[in-house]
Amino acid sequence: MPGTDRPAEKAAAPSFRTLAQQAEKQPPCQVHCPNSGDVRGWLGIIAQHEKNGLTLDQAFDEAWGRIALLNPLPAAIARICPHPCEDRCIRSDKDGAVSINALERFLGDWALSRTLPLPSVMPRRHEESIGVIGSGPASLSFAYQMARRGYGVTVYERGESIGGMLRRAIPEYRLPHDVLDAEVNRLLELGITLKNNTDIRSAIGFEELRDQHDMVFLGLGAQAARRLGIPGEDGPCVTAGIDYLRERKQHSQSLDGRRVLVVGGGNTAIDAARSALRDGAHVTLLYRRSETEMPAIAAEVTDARLEGVEFRFLVSPTRIIRDGDEITGVEIRPMRLGEPDAQGRRRPIAGKGPPQVLAADLVLSAVSQAPDWHGLEAILDEGGAPHADQDGRIDKGLWAGGDDRGAGIAGNAIAQGRFAAESAHAELRGEPAPRLQAHNQAVQGECVQHDYYANRERGERPRLPQLQQLADPDAEIDQTISPEQAYREATRCMSCGLCFDCQQCFMYCNAAGFTRVTETRPGNYFVLALEACEGCGKCVELCPCGYLELRDTEVAPQ
Amino acid sequence: MIKAESPALHDGSRIAVIGAGPAGSMFSYFFLNMAELIGLQADVDMYEPRQFCHRGPSGCNHCGGIVSESLVQRLATEGINLPGGIVQRGIESYTLHMDVGDVEIATPLMEQRIAAIYRGHGPKESAPEAASSFDGYLQELAQDKGAAIIRRLVTGIRRVDERMTVQCADQTSVDYDLVVVAAGVNSRLLDILESDMPAFRQPDRTKTFICEFHLGKELINKTFGPSMHVFLLDIPRLEFAALIPKGDYVTLCLLGDDIDEELMTRFFESPEVRNCFPQNMIPPHVCHCYPRINISPSRPIYGDRLVMIGDSGSTRLFKDGIGASYRTAKAAAKTVVFHGVGADSFKQHYAPLCRRIDHDNLVGKFVFNVAGLVQKARFARRGVLRMTRGEQQRTKGPRRMSGVLWDLFSGSASYTNVFLRTLHPAYIGTLVWNLVAGNVRGKSTADSHATEGDGSHARH
Repeated sequence: MPGTDRPAEKAAAPSFRTLAQQAEKQPPCQVHCPNSGDVRGWLGIIAQHEKNGLTLDQAFDEAWGRIALLNPLPAAIARICPHPCEDRCIRSDKDGAVSINALERFLGDWALSRTLPLPSVMPRRHEESIGVIGSGPASLSFAYQMARRGYGVTVYERGESIGGMLRRAIPEYRLPHDVLDAEVNRLLELGITLKNNTDIRSAIGFEELRDQHDMVFLGLGAQAARRLGIPGEDGPCVTAGIDYLRERKQHSQSLDGRRVLVVGGGNTAIDAARSALRDGAHVTLLYRRSETEMPAIAAEVTDARLEGVEFRFLVSPTRIIRDGDEITGVEIRPMRLGEPDAQGRRRPIAGKGPPQVLAADLVLSAVSQAPDWHGLEAILDEGGAPHADQDGRIDKGLWAGGDDRGAGIAGNAIAQGRFAAESAHAELRGEPAPRLQAHNQAVQGECVQHDYYANRERGERPRLPQLQQLADPDAEIDQTISPEQAYREATRCMSCGLCFDCQQCFMYCNAAGFTRVTETRPGNYFVLALEACEGCGKCVELCPCGYLELRDTEVAPQ
Repeated sequence: MIKAESPALHDGSRIAVIGAGPAGSMFSYFFLNMAELIGLQADVDMYEPRQFCHRGPSGCNHCGGIVSESLVQRLATEGINLPGGIVQRGIESYTLHMDVGDVEIATPLMEQRIAAIYRGHGPKESAPEAASSFDGYLQELAQDKGAAIIRRLVTGIRRVDERMTVQCADQTSVDYDLVVVAAGVNSRLLDILESDMPAFRQPDRTKTFICEFHLGKELINKTFGPSMHVFLLDIPRLEFAALIPKGDYVTLCLLGDDIDEELMTRFFESPEVRNCFPQNMIPPHVCHCYPRINISPSRPIYGDRLVMIGDSGSTRLFKDGIGASYRTAKAAAKTVVFHGVGADSFKQHYAPLCRRIDHDNLVGKFVFNVAGLVQKARFARRGVLRMTRGEQQRTKGPRRMSGVLWDLFSGSASYTNVFLRTLHPAYIGTLVWNLVAGNVRGKSTADSHATEGDGSHARH
């Protein structure tokens, strides 16, 4: 019948009509967060707090609680995360991505200042005992998620203090120790047993440890720096960037007036370069590709340049020139970009031109690190690494995560620890693996109506003035935003794919098909009575966030 | 004269207009014009979150989209000249379809034409440049006069002491000296006002149906021409049905008492409707909605610092809603500028117009009831057809039936005016003759002899 959307045919059987429906979709911030953080969810708690009867303080508390369900270290992680969530924020096509990262950090600090406890922790109720090797972000994430679920957890750390690379490698000016200490201590207070200064290889033995615990998590990290593999590398004055960063955390170093060459393009290379600058050196960073291909966080690269690090792109060291115990220079050759590799990054290949010698007193190589599998040879396969499935399961009762599985960034390590814990818990309880459950469909950018949202410039976090950045080598450069800024910025979230109570569907449905629910919360403000829907699609067109959609729906014959 | 106790606007006063459709925009336009005349400096905020530059129902205020030439002329005298892009097509005739035959009624006096317009930016998925919004044009006029557009959704209006507070969905609220409600009857605002204000009763409404068929300009020229096709069919509860050609689309408009699927099925299955379309096939429509229309006014229609205009207040039954918006908007603006914003000012200077409209609608209801009887009775349809055909086929003499039908379909004249004309002895006499002549003779010969019979009678 032409009056409906299916012309002509008089169907006897159930017919289909195009009706509006409410359908939550995944926002890109969540899709691109390694830990699938519910960014829109916690932003909504803040932005819509008045509608839901919360004071702003309560909303901050609750929003932090939402983050802390998935990440026990938000203040620390927010300080170092390259925030891929912001890269795909749909608002970035309009007037700048929401400052998700600055907001997460604000909430992390907020919770520390108010000493909020970690959320919904179960009392100990499962008998199985869990052993965690290593205390980096993956291990702590796994330990947290298992402790929350009621397991007894023991963390084995071969060093004195816990935190892994967060503590040993990340410079103070990016992540102050007191922030990390506060978050780690809050986590340990859940009743996690810490055995520090315990190298399981020598003190217990890997197999014995597996016998002691019902489940073991491997969070070894990647401690062994890869070598440059060029002549002259062995000997003094050539150090791994990661070792230099570790050293200077324990004993202050002076590189006054020395010429330092850093080799590499990742975050370790940038951290090493900027740290060396703070230790008084003249620093040049060599990278074999161009700036676009650098894996380091772009803002860090910019900061390094502003602070005085010199960059040489498309060059590769070929030889270190030694004079006795010292080095005098490094021979480099030009490179150029070839075909893209599997990740889409263009491969560096030898370029034309004569080699060149750069004068140097110290070389810091930061061309990636690898896990040290010594003592764990039994679980390795032919490739020299254990085979783990998507959630990190290597074997019955053995899971892994973090840099020993190539996490790369700390946010990914947190995610791997959490996913492993969720699967491990399911295995222990005989439940289906949680990650196999279907996700909501991702929201399409074109379904979000930019012109509904008033233009409002992105709020940037305050930063230490350029001149003060090097004056105190440990001074943190990025600062935390104020509660007012945090609220303002949270209200910039367009809530892509989830109702935020704009009320237009309710107000303009000709059939008055939408009814307000009594207990509102972000995403749940109205119910649509499908039998009332007249299929005109006005609500779908008006819905600014792409929550409402038209779908062919089966209706009973009249 | 403004009484001492009656509140009035002064320099710096603020007015909130809720809804920037034709009523809201014209109120703002007239208000700012008149205020300028007497040197009153007041701010006008028009609250309208929807954007009429959007295609499809979200940018549309749902109506058939016909504006009578008399209203076009009236607007022109107010300085509102509809630009070319707004008028989709000039309608030059009506084609009346009945089971007993069709008749084309040409523009009376060659001037009372009809402009076919889109309220929004055209149907879903239409070409972006194809249509300009009538409502959008009026909104721009008001903005040019100095009214501000606030893209916020109003969710409540409260009286706080001597001021009115407008509350929005985003939790903001602003105080005003006067609130003008021009939110129509297709938003929930009047529902909300009814539950917030114990004395207020919103209009009774009924459901109508509007849809768009995409046929392309050429085919439309060939099959529909510059004519609006009106159907007088024996379908219960259907008061008015019309197909209005507009550019690449034809708009179908069904008015009556709670248009539902059963009624629509009967309508689409009737041969008179099918025969209008190419190959007698009704194509799938590209855009549809079920707008509600008033069948009674708001009560009361004003209060201290509060006035309802357009559909939110009192409007004409079935037809000429934009004309009624124009009249109520202008009367309200005049009252506010020259007499005050208290309930007594509105009672004295605004309510009489609304009462006239309501009264005319009562007559209109009667006229439509009579038309309903004609729809039901085949012999009456024959008589009407015969009389109209006769009038159309001669070049001189009064066209009483044609004029009545034209004004009834277009809303160009008041229902009272139409009704009074049907009481004219010559009209009644001619109709009676045609009823007899159209039914006594054989059905097959009735049409061919119509001219003769009609002409002879009209000379009396």
